[in-house]
Parts: sequence; C-alpha cells; structure tokens
Amino acid sequence: MSTASQTPTRIIDFKTAARELLPPGASYDACLSCGLCSAGCPASGLEGMDPRRFIRMAMLGMNEELSTTAWVWTCTQCQRCKYVCPMSIDVSVLVGLARGAWPTEKKPRGIVRSCEAQMRSPGTSAMGLQEEDFVETVEEEVASVRAQGERFARLEAPIDKQGAHFFVNQNSREPGTEPEEMAPLWKIFDYVGADWTYSSKGWAAENFCMFTGDDEAWRKMVEQRVAAVKRLGCKVWLNTECGHSFYTLWKGVERFGLEADFEAGSLVSYYARWIREGRLPVNADWNTQGIKFTVQDPCQLVRKSLGDTMADDLRFVARRLVGDANFVDMAPCRSANYCCGGGGGFLQAGMKELRWAYGKRKFDQIMTTQADYVLTPCHNCHSQIEDLGQHFHGGYRVVHFWTLICLSLGILGENERKYLGPDLARLGL
Amino acid sequence: MIKQSRCHQAELLVIGSGLAGMAASLFALARGISVAQVGNSGVIAFTTGYLDLFGHDGRSFVDDPWQALLRLREDEPLHPLANIAADDIRAAFTGFTHALGEMGLGYSAPGARNLLALTPAGTLKPTLSLPLTMQPMIAAMAGKLDTLVVDFIGLNGFSARELAANLAPRWPGLHAQRIGFPDMDSGAEVYAEVMARALEVPATRQSLAERIRPLLGSAQALGLPAILGVHRPDHVHRELQSLLGVPVFEIPTMPPAVPGVRLRELFETQLPQRGVALEPQHRVKRLELGSHKITARLEDAYGEVTIEAATAILATGRFTSGGLHAEPNAIRETLANLPVVQPKGRAAWYRADYFDPRGHAINRAGITVDEQWRPLDAAGKPAHPRLFAAGSLLAHQDWMRQRCGAGVAIATAYKAVECAAQTMRYTSSAPPHFERT
Amino acid sequence: MDAQTAGHGQVFETEVLIIGGGATGTGVMRDLALRGIHCLLIDRRDLNAGASGGNHGLLHSGGRYAAADADTAAECRREGDILKAVAPECIDACGGLFVAVEGDDPEFAARFPEHCRAAGIECKAITPAEARALEPCLSEKVVAAYTVPDATVDPFRITLENVNHARELTQSIFLSHTELERFVVAGGSIRSAICRDSRSGETISIHARQVVNAAGAWAMRVARLAGCSGVKLLYSKGTLIISNARIGARVINRLRAPGDGDILVPGGTVSLLGTTSQTVDNLDDIHPTVAEVDRLVAEGIAMVPEIAHTRFIRAFSGVRPLLLAAGAAADGRKASRGFSLFDHESEGLANFATVAGGKLTTFRLMAEKTGDLVARRLGNKQPCKTETTPLPSGDAIRWTEPGFAPRYWAARREPGGLILCECEMVPTSAIDAIVDNAPGAQSQMSLNAIAVRSRVGKGSCQGAFCSLRVSSHLYDRQVYDSPEGLRNTRDFVAQRFKGVAPVAWGEHLPQLELAEALHCSLLGLDHLADDRVVDDSAQQAPAGVQKP
Repeated sequence: MSTASQTPTRIIDFKTAARELLPPGASYDACLSCGLCSAGCPASGLEGMDPRRFIRMAMLGMNEELSTTAWVWTCTQCQRCKYVCPMSIDVSVLVGLARGAWPTEKKPRGIVRSCEAQMRSPGTSAMGLQEEDFVETVEEEVASVRAQGERFARLEAPIDKQGAHFFVNQNSREPGTEPEEMAPLWKIFDYVGADWTYSSKGWAAENFCMFTGDDEAWRKMVEQRVAAVKRLGCKVWLNTECGHSFYTLWKGVERFGLEADFEAGSLVSYYARWIREGRLPVNADWNTQGIKFTVQDPCQLVRKSLGDTMADDLRFVARRLVGDANFVDMAPCRSANYCCGGGGGFLQAGMKELRWAYGKRKFDQIMTTQADYVLTPCHNCHSQIEDLGQHFHGGYRVVHFWTLICLSLGILGENERKYLGPDLARLGL
Repeated sequence: MIKQSRCHQAELLVIGSGLAGMAASLFALARGISVAQVGNSGVIAFTTGYLDLFGHDGRSFVDDPWQALLRLREDEPLHPLANIAADDIRAAFTGFTHALGEMGLGYSAPGARNLLALTPAGTLKPTLSLPLTMQPMIAAMAGKLDTLVVDFIGLNGFSARELAANLAPRWPGLHAQRIGFPDMDSGAEVYAEVMARALEVPATRQSLAERIRPLLGSAQALGLPAILGVHRPDHVHRELQSLLGVPVFEIPTMPPAVPGVRLRELFETQLPQRGVALEPQHRVKRLELGSHKITARLEDAYGEVTIEAATAILATGRFTSGGLHAEPNAIRETLANLPVVQPKGRAAWYRADYFDPRGHAINRAGITVDEQWRPLDAAGKPAHPRLFAAGSLLAHQDWMRQRCGAGVAIATAYKAVECAAQTMRYTSSAPPHFERT
Repeated sequence: MDAQTAGHGQVFETEVLIIGGGATGTGVMRDLALRGIHCLLIDRRDLNAGASGGNHGLLHSGGRYAAADADTAAECRREGDILKAVAPECIDACGGLFVAVEGDDPEFAARFPEHCRAAGIECKAITPAEARALEPCLSEKVVAAYTVPDATVDPFRITLENVNHARELTQSIFLSHTELERFVVAGGSIRSAICRDSRSGETISIHARQVVNAAGAWAMRVARLAGCSGVKLLYSKGTLIISNARIGARVINRLRAPGDGDILVPGGTVSLLGTTSQTVDNLDDIHPTVAEVDRLVAEGIAMVPEIAHTRFIRAFSGVRPLLLAAGAAADGRKASRGFSLFDHESEGLANFATVAGGKLTTFRLMAEKTGDLVARRLGNKQPCKTETTPLPSGDAIRWTEPGFAPRYWAARREPGGLILCECEMVPTSAIDAIVDNAPGAQSQMSLNAIAVRSRVGKGSCQGAFCSLRVSSHLYDRQVYDSPEGLRNTRDFVAQRFKGVAPVAWGEHLPQLELAEALHCSLLGLDHLADDRVVDDSAQQAPAGVQKP
C-alpha cells in the first residue's frame, strides 16, 4: 500500500470553508450546539465524533484533526443532520471536502480502486467492465431470456439505439456478477412498451468518484455520462434502482455547471406513473401468504433528491405490489429516514466493525416492523441491509422493486429469484 | 437539466410546522379543508412534551388557568389569549389533544386546573396536559409514593440525584439509582433519542427491565428520563410497565430531547396520511400575496417547489425558527415583511436582570392581527384579505415566562383556521380532491 | 461553611496578607513565596474579578504606547519578553499588525516606526498588499501597515499558576468571597484584617505581619480603610466584545491615536474587539452597553469589514485603575499607564503597601517592586526570582486556555470522559480536577467559580446548555446535594446573560432565546423557591425580585 513518496495531508481551514460553501444563516456560525444532529446521526459515537463535534472543532480551528479523522469515512453524507437541524446546517458538505483532502494512498483502498476503475473504462464501470464485456453479457442474457418462452421471444435490450426515449444506466453489479438480475427490468420495459436503450459508452450507474471526495474525478464521470446521453439524443435519462447514481448525476450537472438538455428521471417515479396509467397492472393477489414488506427510503433518492414526493411514489408502488395490509413502514421513514450505512462508499471502505455499528439502528428499525422482506430501489441499501441481516441475525430478505413487479405480473423467470426466500422462490412457476 | 416540477394546490397553506402550524393543519383537516404545509423544525424540537395553556401571570404560578385567562382580559387586553373566548380555547385544546391521541400519542385530558409536573432539575412546572407516558408522575408525587428514579451512564444533563435532592422536602420517598442502558453502557456518551429508538425493540425492553428490576425494592413507581420510544411511546410505556409491575413515568430531559422528536415525526408521518401535502423541513423562500391566490415558493435539494392556495396561515415562530430576524437595532418579520411591534432599539430589548419577573420586552415583540386574525400592514389594515397568523410570532405575549406556548399556538391556530374557513365560505363536508403534480 | 455559625468565625495567621486576586495580587503572592514567605490572598469575589478578568489579553509589544508614553512602551517590551520566557504556555506569540486605513492621520502613521525604535520595539513596515496576504480579513482600504511582536496572554492561567505555585512553595492560601470590612490598627501597624465570607456570612480574622493592597480598581477603597488617602485613582471603563470564532491570526491594531474599537485581539479560539474608554465614578453596576457595542462594531468594520457580519457571543466591561497624578486631566486615555508603589510610611503605617495602576503586561514588575519592599520589611534577604523562574503548570489549572480542552480530547479520547461543555469541549475530568484541586476550590463550588478556572460557558452557547450538564454532574458527584446547586446554576446563567444581551442580534439572538426557553420555561430557574444567597455581580440585588 505504501508508495514511494508520501503525499502530505492537505490541511483545510474548515471555518473559512464553511462560510464559503454553506448558505448564510445555515452555516457553522448559526449553530446553537443543541445536539439534535448528533442525536439523530447513526455515525455519532464512531471515532468519538459526531456532527455537533465536527462543527465545534471547525469553529475552534482544529483543522489538523478534522483533516485527518477517519470519521469522515463513516459519515455517509446522508444529510440527516441538515434535516433535523433548526438552522438547516449541512455538516456533510465539509465532510466531503475533508475526504478530498486525504492523500490518495491514505483513502480507503476499495473506494479509490473503484473510482480508478471507472476512470479507466469508457463504460465508467467501477468493476472495470469494458464495453465489449458489457455488450456481450447483455446479448447473452437477452438470448437467455428469449429462450424462456414465447412471451419474450422478441424481447430486446437495445444498446446505442439512436433517438430512444429513455437512456437507461446499469449498475455494474448485475452484469458483473449476476447478469440474470438484469432481466426483470427488461421485461418491465417490454411490458409497457418503453422505447429505451443502454449505451456502450458511459453505461454504468455507480459513481465512487464522488465518494473519494475528488471533485475532478466526479466531474469527469458525470461529463462522460452526460455526453453519452447526448450522443444518443435521448429525452429522459432514466436512473436504475440505485440511489447515489441518481444524486451524483443531477448534483454533478448542477455543481459543475454542465449542459444537460434532458430530464433526470427515476425508475421508481416511472413505475408509479405506469401503474397509475394502467400500463403496469400489478396487484397483490400473489401475496396469499400475507408476507410482510417494508420499504427502505434511499437517502440519495429521497432526502437528498426528490424528497417526500419520491417517498410517496415508493410507497404507492410498494403497496400496490404487496397489498396495503402487508405493508409496514419503518419509523422514522421518508425524508426523516435513517441512512442504512451502505452509502458514501462505506461498503467498499473495509471498515466492517464501524459499518455494522452504524447500521445497528437500521437493523433495529427493520426488526421492529417484523417484516419478512425489505424492498429498496438502491444497490448500496440492498447490500448493506442484507449484510446487516446476516451479521445481526435478522432473518429478513432484501429485494429490488423489479423483482416484485415481475413476480406480481407472473413473468419472473426461474433464475431471476436469487433474492427471494423459499416462501416465494417457487411462486408462479 | 430538465427536472421534475413539483407543485401543490390546496385551499389552505400553512407556513410553519411548529405547534401552531400542526394544530392549524389538524383543525383544517377536521373541517374538510385541503391543506398544504411547509416548515422547518424550529423550537418544537426542544419541547418537554407538556402542553402549557397558561402557567404564570407575572405574579405567581397559576393553579386555575381558566380563571387566570379571565383576569388576563383585564390585565393584558392585547394578549392573544385575551381575545379568544374560553369555549374556543377549551375546544381547541381538547381537539388538539384528542387528535394527538388518535394519531398514537396519548395525552391527558385538559381539565379545570393545571397539573404540577416535573422538570429534569427537580423543580415543578404547572401545565394543562401531559403525555400519558408522563402522567403517572402526578399521582406518584401527590401520594408521595416510594419512587425510584433511574438515570443512565453517559446521559449528560439528567441526574436522578439532582431530582431527588431538589424534590426531597416535598417528596422524601424519591430515591435515585444509576444504571447502564443495554448495549450502551461503555461510558461513552448516549443520547435519549437513541435509547428511545432502541426501546422500540422488544428485546431491549426485556434487557432494560432486567437491569431495573433488582433495584426496585419497595418502590411503588419508577421514573425514567424520556426514552420510552419515539414511534409508539404509549406501547413502549405499557410494555415496560407490564414487565416491571409498577407505574412508570417519563421525565423530560434537556435538549436534544425525545418529546419534540416524537411530535415532529408524528406530524411528518400522520399528516400526509391524512391528506396534507407536507414539505417537511423546508422554509418558504418567497411568498406572493396575489389577488386570487397565495403562492409560496421553496427550494429543496432538487429544485423549486410551488404551493398555491386560496388562504394562508403564517405560523413561522420567532427568532430560533426564523419567523423573526433581529438586525442590530430592529426586528423584522422575515417572509411577508410585516411590521413588527417592538421596543425601540436594542437597548430596550432586554432588561438588566435575566430573571426579571417582568420578562424582557423583546419577547413581546411580534406581529399584530385584527379580529379575524389577519396580520396588519404598516397602515394598520390587513396585509391581505386571506392571510392569517397564529402562534408565537404574535405580539403581546411572552410564552416562555407566562408558560403559555401551547395555549397561544393551539388557540390562535384554531381561530385562524376558523377565519380562513369563513373567507372560503366552505360548505361541503367531504374533503376535496387534490393532487400532487 | 455553615451560614448559621455566629461568634468568632475563622482565624488565620500569615506573614503577608494580600488583598486582590488579580494578576498583581497573585503575582505578589508568588514573588514572595519564591522568597520563602507564607501569604494569604483574599478577594471579595474570586480570581481575576477585576481588570485582570476584563481585558483583551494583549501582551503588549508596547506599540500602542510608543507614541505617547515611551517609558511604558519600553517597560512593556521588556516585561513581555520575560513572560514569554517564563510562562510560554500562557502566551500565544501570534505577532501583531498596526494598520492605518483611508482617512487616518498620515503623520501618526509616518512617525510610528521612530517611536517604536525609541522604545526598542521591533517594527517593520510592510505594504498593504503584504498585510492583506498575512491577514486576508483586512480591509481593502488599508494604506499603511507595520508588524510588531504583539502576543496574547491568558490572564486566567497566569493567575491560577501564580496561586498554585505559591501554594506549592509555602502552602500559601487563597480565599475567595472574603471581603475586607475593616483593619485593626495599633501602634502604627495593621494588626489584623476583619473580613466576611460573603457566601456564608462568617467572620474571618486575619493576623498578618505585612499587608499588601493589590486590589486594583478597589485599591483606593482599601487604602482608605487603612486610613490612607494618598492613593488616587481614575476609573476608566473599557468594553470589549467577543466573536464566535477567531478572526485573523495576529493582533490587529489601528494605526492612529488611541480611540474606540481600534484593536482586534485573538483569544485562542475567539477574537476580542475593543475597547472603549469612559471615565466612571462608581465601581458598582459596571456593564457593557448597547451603545458601546455598536461603536466598537462600527469602528472595527473600518479595519476588518467582515465584522459587519460577525456573530458576537459576549460583551464584557472592565475598569482600568489609572493613577491620577495631582492636577492631571480626567481623560482616561491620556492618564498614566504606569504604576506606583505606595509605602504609606508618611501616612503613619509601617506594614502596609499599595501597588496601584499599571497593566496586565507589567504585573510581574509590579510584583517585584512590591515584593522587594515587603521582603525588606520582613527582614527577608531573598532576591526576586520571578524574572527567571518558570511558572509551573498543573492538572487543575490548565483548563482556561482556549483550545486546550479540544486538543486534549483529540489526543486522549478516553471513553469514560464525557464532554460537559460541548462548545469548548471541556470533559468531566477537567471539572473534577478543578473541583478537587484548583486554587480556591471550596465545598459546593459555584458554577461561576468553575467557569473562572475553565472555559465552561465561554463558547457559543454562553453556558445555556453546559450550565445544566455541569450542575447535573456536580449533583451526581454529590458536590451539590440541595437546591443550592440550582441557585448556583441560576446565578451562573444570570451572570452570563449580562454579557450576552448587549450582543444579541442576528445569529446570536436565537441562542439567547433558546437559553431563556430552557432556563425559564423548562426548568423554572426564574422562580426558584429562595432568593439568591450570593450576589456574584458587583451590582445590588435588582429591585423587584420577589419571593413567591
């Protein structure tokens, strides 16, 4: 891990940075030291730090300590501090700044490697999947789906289709490790007759570069993806079931002043719309066993992006899918939700004990609902919540929306049930 | 980038999500009025959970708030509570506590007298209604029951010994013990909110009860800092009582405290379920008082959200919540630029002695309203025919010293909604349909 | 101490009684202790209750006096160098700038370097651009600038270290809340001092061979109690305001004839903007006014524009005791900043001395001269050792340094150490050390006393929250076991309020609003059952305080 020359840590003047980066009246000067942020933050107590302490240390001029504390890798930048603060102070902005100040060789290796892989691949994939790999994997999987039966004989997963309405991104996890999990979404598009395409360049969804705190790298990723959308002339950039990919793109466009003449859409919003329009006739008839579901509001999608409008859509879809009586919310939820600890690169940072400690609150929330399944439209939430369940012995399972939608419609393939439990694995087959 | 536009329409826009704003929404819903609401957490986050109608008249603590309010009409005719009929105040208070109970946060029924409730310092405070999770303290104190108060390792600012030492003359049977909270007893700092969430999990309740049981001895009641759950406090309270076999009561703590979080999360969850278009934890950036409609514009992370309504209630609170802002020598109202009744110049804002029994003049500054609860402009006319105001933003009351915060919030919200309804001449009893677009 | 005790009270014997717990009094105490002499130091309130606790903490390079008072300037320079050598932990050698802005007298600016040279003060001219590179907060309108070796000193730590060292050397004692009522004089000597403990009401009789009056602004009163009228002081009130966070790295002085608001001094983690100068007759009821605060801000903006938007968290006032030479003008700024040592022999007393006037920077020299006199009278031949003996620090006396507690926390991070004051990050171990062992620690130590010995209540919240956490902790420790603890809390926050109200606008006002909501509406501190036992302020109990 050591390199020939050790880059010194850049020491940031946090007090000045807070004044420059935060809106007046909502900056560190406005802090009343009330502690609501700390009480409501799952990272409080890790490394002996919490959001209130971060603010105070900045005001006390403890720049060296703040520039070197590992706490900044346990804060997932979920913005819950800002949410509960009477002054709306966003501690996460300076956490991001601190991350960027770390010498690359000291940053958590997993996050750095993922960003580097993205920078090297024209597809911008954090798993380093090259264009050819992606195209080939998709084509193989399409063939596999077509072979499932007459229903899907003409199913398509277009790549580089000029002028398609929807530009769809793809999280590398599926093509990289579980390509059959791409199929449910294709079936949904097929079902509603959506005019969509993947892109061979800039196809990937994830963006670890934002997590490294490296603005330049983040910018480069966003530019490549925006260029890809433009090149294909799509009207809507449709974000897959991944939280941070949505946030990093629209936020990146705004922050770096990029020109992006298309709509930023979330799959979840479109599920809701298609259901309301009757184009996706899901219902809960399949849930004869009364299996209980809860939903995880991804911070990146709800609190940090579309707010409770998105939370409403999530629940509308979920309730339709599983039945009102079988749906139970976590508390708190919606924009007040707790981050599960999967974001910010925590899953790749190798700080397992801290990540589990962080996620204990989420685990307790889920257990209190007594739900059998957690529904979430976010890859990092999915991975973290699953991992928490294993570590703390939860017994619940975690699924994406596309899996349940296809299940409800009776089109979920036999090999597309990896995340379903024995209670649902054979349903509809 | 083309972003999703967000727009709400409603008959009533409630600006502010403190006690007054929340009360306004509930009263409006009860009348079948469609509501959109926006507000930031403000001061409700710090509440004890007690609902004070009127607790101190400047001379002494008040035992009978209803009597005291009658006297208030003579002593302080400009006070908001002096301008509301007793029956309305009663209806408002009862309606509000009833609504809270329906939403899952039980409160004691407001009665004819104030109740003497505990503070974390072991002083007493008169209040009209308190959460059911705290109610057993009343009987325990009145009966001078042998009572154990437990505090926790790492919970700053809550000391059972402090309580016992200060209540000793009145309550000699109150004794103190300290324990560690399950899985949070390393000596590191703990927060009431985190303990409260943990107690929503049955296993945690079991562990806690196991730690407390051996200490109970002959105690006939148990006092705890306010940690009995956030989401279902009544349930957590009942469960713990049944595990321990004695009445249990919570005591409010200093900030960051749980009761305020409970109220806020209750509103954020329940009001949208009841049809309120709620933009939680945001502030209105611009308010446009048009001839046909009132428009509020706010910005969240993603972009602009617009709310259009026929009527609006301004319940933005005071300095901490941002309804008022103090320049070095003048106070202004931050959203509609309404004139603020205020002492002239900063030297007149505060008296020399912090605890001067007359209170500080700045706390009585605020906006003034007409008989229809419409804020007045510089010419003394209503700023807009369909703009109303409620809550601590109003002038001529000192909620902190008079212990009348909840009273002012709830009763003025009640009247503001009534007046707003009148301007709309709303007749149908069915809630109208509206959509988020 | 039992308030009910009547009769003889406590009796103390000592070699030297010193009256006045500021830098000078404690300096004398240590000076004498280094010569092997036992002392008893008393103060009617607590350490640094006068000018030593109400100043900007500037360790003068001397530049401010160079133009008008070359001797004082040179004295400052010499003493500053000595203190930097013997008490480096109390000092932040941050350096200073003198800047003139458009409209300031160019003559004054031009003559500045020669005045400094005459006083031996290192002074270097730099361009306005260079000045702004050093201090980006400086106005664009700076027209002239010089660097000087200004530094800042923590006057609380100096005082605590003085007392602590004296305690270690000769078991000397400090008694707080001990008010001198009268002297017993016989045969041309003071035989004893009769005092009263203002907390318990108990009488304290002190028999001493020598008596030193180092009572600062109260020195005239004390001298008169001894029948001496030769000490004549002018009282000059000065007000300062404290910012929420530190502005600038160095001391920034206005390069013009001294006036209001012409100095911005870093205080570790905050900055102090001052001062004003107003002659007052009465030492009671000294508090900062809104008008003074507004003047400071208006003047400060000329040097440092961001002051217009700065959140200030506190204002405070101190009284400079200035020696009035016979027939001198009543202008506080022009009265002498030098000091005088009165031996009172011409007034018929053989064992009484008064050291008056002077400033914080020269306390050591004042103590040296006084010590020489007192030692000679005692027949003690030991020379003064304070010029070269380092001031030792200690566990219970290092907590007043701004920024120390946070750094301590960052380095140790023990899980058992909870933070009681979040703004200044003061841990429980600090409170415990202070309560157990700080100079002047007494049973049922008040929050005000703890605050003097630490940073509790000095941050953004000005004690709103930490007062409650500290007092709960003291109840836990059974330092408090009765409503007295709440009265201490009430008195503490009431004291804090006096300094907050004058700067309560903008972002700071919500802090005060929230504090009042907590203290009154939540806790009912405005209506505690009993009246105040101790009035910690210089004021009388305000009219209108009622018992329910």
